[in-house]
Amino acid sequence: MSFRTRLALFFVATLVAMQVLTGVLVYQVTRHELIREGQRQLGVAASAFAHQLDDISGRVAESVQVLALDYALRSAIAQRDRATMLSALENHGRRVGATQMLLLDTDGKVQVDTLGAYAASTRFPYDDLVQQAYTQPAAAVVAWRGHAYWMVVVPVFAPNLVGLIAASIPIDDSLLARLQAQSTLPRNIELAARAGDGRWKVLAHGNEQVMLTAALAANGSAFPEQPALLEAHGREFVAQAVTLDRSHASAPVAAVLGYSVDQALDPYRTVAYAWAALLVLGLAIGLLGAWLIARGLSRPVEQLAASARRIEAGDYSPVRITRNDELGQLSGAFANMAEAIREREARIIHQAGHDQVTGLPNRGSAEAAIRRELENGKPAALLMVGLARLPEIIKTMGHTVCDRLMHDAGARIRPIGDALVARATDAQFAVLLPSAGRQQAIAAGFRVLDALAEPYREADLTLDLAPAVGIALAPLHTDSADGLLRRAEIALLAALGTEEPIAVYDQDTDPHRPERLSLMGDLREALDRDQLELHYQPKLHLPSGRIDGAEGLIRWSHPHLGMVSPDHFVPLAEETGNIRRLTRWALAAGIAQAARWNAAGRDIRVSINLSARDLDDAELPRRVAELLSLHALPPERITLEITEGAVMNKPDAAIAILKRLSDRGIDLAIDDFGVGHSSLAYLRRLPVRELKIDKSFILQLLEQREDQTIVRSIIELGHHLGYRVTAEGVENPRVLRQLAAMGCDHAQGYYIAKAMPAGAFGEFLATGMPLDSHA
Amino acid sequence: MRTLYWLIFALAGALAAPGQAGELKVLLSDQHGKPVADAVVTLLPQDELPAPAHAPTTKFIDQKNLTFIPYIEIFRPGDSVVFRNSDDTRHHVYSFSPAKSFEFMLAPGEKSTPLVLDKAGVIAVGCNIHDQMIAYLYVSGAPWIERSGADGTVAFADLPAGRYSVRVWQPRLRPNEPDLVETATVIGTGPAKTLNFELSLLPDPRLQFDREHTSY
Repeated sequence: MSFRTRLALFFVATLVAMQVLTGVLVYQVTRHELIREGQRQLGVAASAFAHQLDDISGRVAESVQVLALDYALRSAIAQRDRATMLSALENHGRRVGATQMLLLDTDGKVQVDTLGAYAASTRFPYDDLVQQAYTQPAAAVVAWRGHAYWMVVVPVFAPNLVGLIAASIPIDDSLLARLQAQSTLPRNIELAARAGDGRWKVLAHGNEQVMLTAALAANGSAFPEQPALLEAHGREFVAQAVTLDRSHASAPVAAVLGYSVDQALDPYRTVAYAWAALLVLGLAIGLLGAWLIARGLSRPVEQLAASARRIEAGDYSPVRITRNDELGQLSGAFANMAEAIREREARIIHQAGHDQVTGLPNRGSAEAAIRRELENGKPAALLMVGLARLPEIIKTMGHTVCDRLMHDAGARIRPIGDALVARATDAQFAVLLPSAGRQQAIAAGFRVLDALAEPYREADLTLDLAPAVGIALAPLHTDSADGLLRRAEIALLAALGTEEPIAVYDQDTDPHRPERLSLMGDLREALDRDQLELHYQPKLHLPSGRIDGAEGLIRWSHPHLGMVSPDHFVPLAEETGNIRRLTRWALAAGIAQAARWNAAGRDIRVSINLSARDLDDAELPRRVAELLSLHALPPERITLEITEGAVMNKPDAAIAILKRLSDRGIDLAIDDFGVGHSSLAYLRRLPVRELKIDKSFILQLLEQREDQTIVRSIIELGHHLGYRVTAEGVENPRVLRQLAAMGCDHAQGYYIAKAMPAGAFGEFLATGMPLDSHA
Repeated sequence: MRTLYWLIFALAGALAAPGQAGELKVLLSDQHGKPVADAVVTLLPQDELPAPAHAPTTKFIDQKNLTFIPYIEIFRPGDSVVFRNSDDTRHHVYSFSPAKSFEFMLAPGEKSTPLVLDKAGVIAVGCNIHDQMIAYLYVSGAPWIERSGADGTVAFADLPAGRYSVRVWQPRLRPNEPDLVETATVIGTGPAKTLNFELSLLPDPRLQFDREHTSY
C-alpha cells in the first residue's frame, strides 16, 4: 500500500470515525436533553393540567351556583313543586353542559334526579361534597359508570338554605381534545380511574391514544411519582401521572400525561439528514483533499527518491522542487547534499589520483595515463627522475623539508615540454613523453637534469639534489604500463649506480626481470622434489697424470626452461635467502657421492662450492661434520671452495668460520683467485690448502705473456705458502703442457672433461681417457 | 330543624314560696370560643307558670344600605311586621317560609302594609334583587324569649323558680343536626344560674355572595 493511499485512508478513516462519534454523541446528548426537558415539561404540564381542571371545575361550580339563584327555581324548591323543579333543573343542566342534575334536601338526600339514577330520598353518595357545599360550592372529579365527571354541589338559598343542587358534567375525549387545542398540553393525555381490583382503567383520553396508563402502571397499582421513561406502541415516552381532586366516594382518578421522545426528536431528524448529507459531502471532499495533499506530498518524495537513485548511480544533476514547505526544504537540502557529495567525490578522485605534496598525479593515475597512451600502440618514452641524495636528506632533515623539496622539484620538472609529470614514488618523478623516441627522451632527460641542477635552497639550507634519469621506451622495451614504469626505474637505478646521470633501460643487464621470482619458486620446488643434480668435473693431478679430484657443480633441469645455468639461479638464491638450502643440498649430495667413491676404493677428493652467504652460517661447520660422520667419510676426502670475493667481503667472519672447518680437518680452497681484491695479509691468515687460479688468466695463457707471468707467480706464491695450486679453464693440450711445465698441481677444464653426472664420472675414470691421448 | 332545645329542670326547692324570683344567664360561644350574637334563646317552663302578659305590637324591618335591619327580630304570634325601604333602590322582599310566605316590591322610601304573623316559626326573608339581603323573623309564643347581643350573653331576670326547657336558635347552626342533649338546671333564689352553650356555626350566608369572601 503506497504512502499516498495510506495517508488518504488515514484521513478518511479519522474523518468518518470522528463524524460517527460526534453523531452518536450529539444524538445521545440531544435525546438525553430532550428526555430531561420532557420530564421537566411534564412536571409543569401535569400541575398545569390539574390547575386547569380545577379552574374549569370552579367555573362550572360558579355557573351552577348562579343557576341556583334563579328565583323561579328557588320558588319551586321552597314550595316543593317537583315537576317545576325537574324541568328547571333539566333546563339549567343543559346550560352548563351537565348530563345529570340533582336536587338534594338539606340532609343530602336526593329529592329530584333528572337522570333518574337515584331514587327519591336515597342518600346522595358524595356526602363529602355535600358537607363542603354548606359553606361553599364544592366540585370534584368522580368516576361513574366508566366515565369521568365533574360533580359540582352548590347550596340553594331562599334566602336561607333550602336544599342543594348537584350537577354532573362529563369530562370526555372531546373536552380533553379541546383543552389540548386551547393550551400547550402534551398530545398524550389520559384520564384513568382505579378499579376495584387495583387496575387503572382509562376513562377518557386526548386526541391520541397510546395506552400510556397501562405502561406507566405496569409495575402495580401505584404510579411512579417522578416522570418515567417508557415504551408504548413501539415508541418512547416520558410519562407522569397526577392525581386529581376527587370525592371520597369515587374511585381515585388520575391524569396521565405523556411526552413522545420520538416526536420531540422529529425536528432533529431533518438536522440528522442534513448532517448525514454533510458527512457524505465532507467525506467526498476529504477524500479528494486527502488524495490531493497526499499526492502533493508523495510526488516530491518520489522525485527525491528518483534523485537519490540517480545520485547512487553517480548522476548529481540536482532536482529542484520549488515549494515553500518542509518538502521544499528537504529538496533544497537534498540538492545541497548532492552538490556536496559531488564536490567531495571530485576531491576524493583528485586526491586518489594526485600526490598531496606536489599536487602532481600519483603513480596510480600516471600508470593509468601511460596505459591509455600505450593503448593505441604509439611510441612513448618514460623518464624516471630520481634524487640520489633524498634518503640521506630525509634522515638528516626530516620529512617536512623533504616534502617541500619534492614540491619544489615537481614544480621545476613540470614545465618540461609536452609531458605528463607524476610522482611515481616518494623519491621519484615519472615523466611521460608521448610519441617520443630514444633521442627525444634523452634530450628531455637532460632538460630535467638542467632543471634540477640548481641546489634546493631553504633558509640557510642548500641541498644538492643529485638527480638521475632512467629511460624506458615503449613499445621497444615493453608495451605494458607497469612494465614501462618498472623498466624506467631499473634504468634509474642503473644511472644512480654510475657516473652517468642518464641511463636507458638495457634488457640484458636487468637483474630484476620478473621471471626471476617464479624461477625462485621453481628452485624451492626443485629442492623439495630433488630435481637438482650434482655434476662432477674432473681435476687432473698434473705430476701423476691421474684424476684424483672432482668439483661438484649443481645442475638444474627445469621442467619448462630446460637446463638453467647456475650463473642464473645461484645469485638469485643468494639474493632471496635460499642459498643455504642450496648449499646444504650440495654438501649432502657431494659428501654422499664422495663416500660412495671412497667405499669403492676410488681416490677422488670432491670439491663443493660455498657461497659468501654461507660464511654467516655458524651452523655450517657442525653440519658438515655431521654429514661426514653420517657417511663415515674422512674429512680430507672433501674440499670446500670459496671465492676470493666472498672472503674479502667480510674477512674476519670468514676467517672464523673457515678456521673452524679447517680445525675439523677439512681442506679449504680459494676459488677464482686473482680477480678479487685479495689482501695478501689476509691470504696469509687464511687456513686454506689450495688456490684455484681464475680461468680468465688461463684461457689465453699461451698468447698473453702477462698471463703467463701472473700464473707462474701465483703458482710460486702458492707453493711458497704451502698451498696446492689448481688452474681452471684448461681448453687445449698446449695450455695443459704449459701448466705442467710451470709446476701447477692440478688442472681443470673442458679439455680434460666437462662436468658430468656421477655415473658418467665412473665410466670416465675407467676408460682412463683423455690424458693418455695427450700424454 | 335549626332549633336547639335545652330542657332545663329546675328543682324548685323554693316552690313552697312562690313569688321568689331567680335569675338565668346564658353564655353563647361558637366553635372558636367567640361570643355568638343574633342567637335567640327561649325558655319554656315545664310547669304551669304565669307567663308575662303580652299585647300584639307592630315592628319595623328597615332596609338600609342593602341590609335588613335588624337581622333578627322576635315576634309573638299576632304581632305585625312592616318593611320600610330606606334605600334609594327598589327591593323585592319575599319569603317562602311555611310560617308566612309573601312577596312584594318596595320602592325607595315606601313602606309595606303591616303583615300579621299569626303562626309561630322562623320566617326567612330575602330580597330577590339583592341576594345578600336576609332577615329572620322569629315568631314564638314562648313566655321568655331574648336575643343575644354582641357579647353573646342573654340574661333572664325575675324568673319564677322552676324547671325550664332552654332552647337556643341561631340562623348559622348546621342544618339537620339532631336535637342536643337536654340539660337540667335548678333555678332558685341565690346567685344567678349560668348556662354555657357552644354552637357549631356555618359561615354567615350574607357573606356567601360577597365575592371578596368567597373562595371564587
